[in-house]
Amino acid sequence: MTRQITHRLLLSIPVLLGVLLLGFLLLQLAPGDPAAVLAGPSASPDLVAAIRRDMGLDQPVWVQFLRYLGRVLRGDLGRSLISNKTVASELGNAIGPTIELMLACLVWSIPLGLTLGTLAAVRRGRLADRAIMAVAVAGVSMPVFTVALVLIELLGVKFRLLPFIGRGGPLWTVDGLLHVTLPAVALGFVFLGPVARMTRAAVLDVLGADHVRTARAKGLTERAVVLRHGLRNALVPVVTLIGLQAGYLLGGAVITETIFAWPGIGRLAVGAILANDFPIAQGTIMVLSLSFILINLLVDMLYVWLDPRLRVA
Amino acid sequence: MSESPEKRLFRDPAALAAGVVLGAIVAGAILAPWLAPHDPYATSRQALLPPMWELRGKPSFPLGTDGQGRDLLSRLLFGTRITLMIGLVSVTLGGALGMAVGMLAAFYRRLDAPLMRLVDVVLSFPAILFGLAFSAVFGAGLTPVVAALVIATVPDTARITRGVALGIARQDYMEGGRAIGLGDLTLLRRYLARNCLPSVFVFLTLRFGQVVLLGAGLSFLGLGVRPPTAELGMMASQGRDFLFLAPHVATIPSLAIFVIVLAANLLGDALRDALDPRLRS
Repeated sequence: MTRQITHRLLLSIPVLLGVLLLGFLLLQLAPGDPAAVLAGPSASPDLVAAIRRDMGLDQPVWVQFLRYLGRVLRGDLGRSLISNKTVASELGNAIGPTIELMLACLVWSIPLGLTLGTLAAVRRGRLADRAIMAVAVAGVSMPVFTVALVLIELLGVKFRLLPFIGRGGPLWTVDGLLHVTLPAVALGFVFLGPVARMTRAAVLDVLGADHVRTARAKGLTERAVVLRHGLRNALVPVVTLIGLQAGYLLGGAVITETIFAWPGIGRLAVGAILANDFPIAQGTIMVLSLSFILINLLVDMLYVWLDPRLRVA
Repeated sequence: MSESPEKRLFRDPAALAAGVVLGAIVAGAILAPWLAPHDPYATSRQALLPPMWELRGKPSFPLGTDGQGRDLLSRLLFGTRITLMIGLVSVTLGGALGMAVGMLAAFYRRLDAPLMRLVDVVLSFPAILFGLAFSAVFGAGLTPVVAALVIATVPDTARITRGVALGIARQDYMEGGRAIGLGDLTLLRRYLARNCLPSVFVFLTLRFGQVVLLGAGLSFLGLGVRPPTAELGMMASQGRDFLFLAPHVATIPSLAIFVIVLAANLLGDALRDALDPRLRS
């Protein structure tokens, strides 16, 4: 198992370098002078010249890349053009709320998705199956902002049941929980469909296997067969598939944060891009890429842990 | 058993309904200039008019008006055009590129490892990040969105194509083609591409809905088309300001996106079931 994890960690090094290269290229690819892009549209020529000297833009590209690597590794990502705070501190403030939102979304959508998917597989072809799959297809087809707008309109504006702007505080406070509810429901709703669909397929696959027939033959209750032999084995492919959906979830989170004014990385990214705050935009994109890689790494480890066959190999 | 795929497809009521709905939407989008009752960009003094079936509604504005008094039905028709176009162009370009990469990887075995590792690296970034990155560098607009969606479509298409093409490359008729002296290009085009196309087409149909969702999402964030161009995601975003006064301004374009994506997904599912008998239950 240790060997696998080491192997997996080694594999993520080229991807990590890719992320760093991406951050570097973002600046190089920008039309015009990188110094002018960094300085922002309203900067004076003196400032642009100072930044150019400061960044060593007169040096060859590979020197620039190495210097950039050095800065990033020291945690120096520059300063926001608008708030003048360091990018690192802005990112540090935003990362907590994003993790909160993700957790609040996953904590209800994954268990519910697993339950619905298993139920659909057991009742295959019957009304319950069709109803669940219809809801799942609708969930997959619904833009996350549609769900969010409907929730805001009904529960926020019309009946005034729940707050829908910003974060109320840490998750363990009442206000914090109330504020996270609507964004977490909106984001979880679009995630529910994929999880239910994948669970159904995986459970159906397992229920046809020999060991399930044996379990039935030895007289286990249907409940034990489905839960212990079906769902448990189906979890392995489902975990991988959920990992593959992490990008989808990330996209949904960016939109959800923007709609609900949730002070996370996604909202920071969109705000920075719209305001031409290039250093912040670059920093958020790198953090989002890194977290995506991290999620995939965790999923892979979970996969090894869930499937004992992989542990010895 | 010997039933043709088309027959199987049309026997499925959900697929039939999805096909009809999608066809109607596409027709509406194409015929927008003739169907639209108003100029989609002409403002009027009658802002935030509700749909005609509501109390204050007027038959001259069937779906009501937006915050600037523009006719929602006309904007919906023209907006659907742009939304569909973004999806179609991205899926076609991304699909063609991905197919080329997949076929090259399967045909020239030397290229397989380098091409597929590259695909893996691209695949390790979610599509939304390409959208954010491109609009950060080039500014919001149609081109960065389409570019991001194209890049997001390439890796998966390449993987699917490679899988199918590997099977085809082993077939006797490929050997036969080579024996009668056909060049690589002809083999690739006439033998490999044509036989890969059905599987890739099914995959891209399934992908179309996701691409439309993502494109609309980027526009909703303000990173896509610029105002005043009508696009469904951006229209929904503009309606956010009137959720209390006139929720229909946001809900109608949102629902339109939902219907387009739902129809595309149902059609894609049915197409897969009909063309790929292994998956049929």
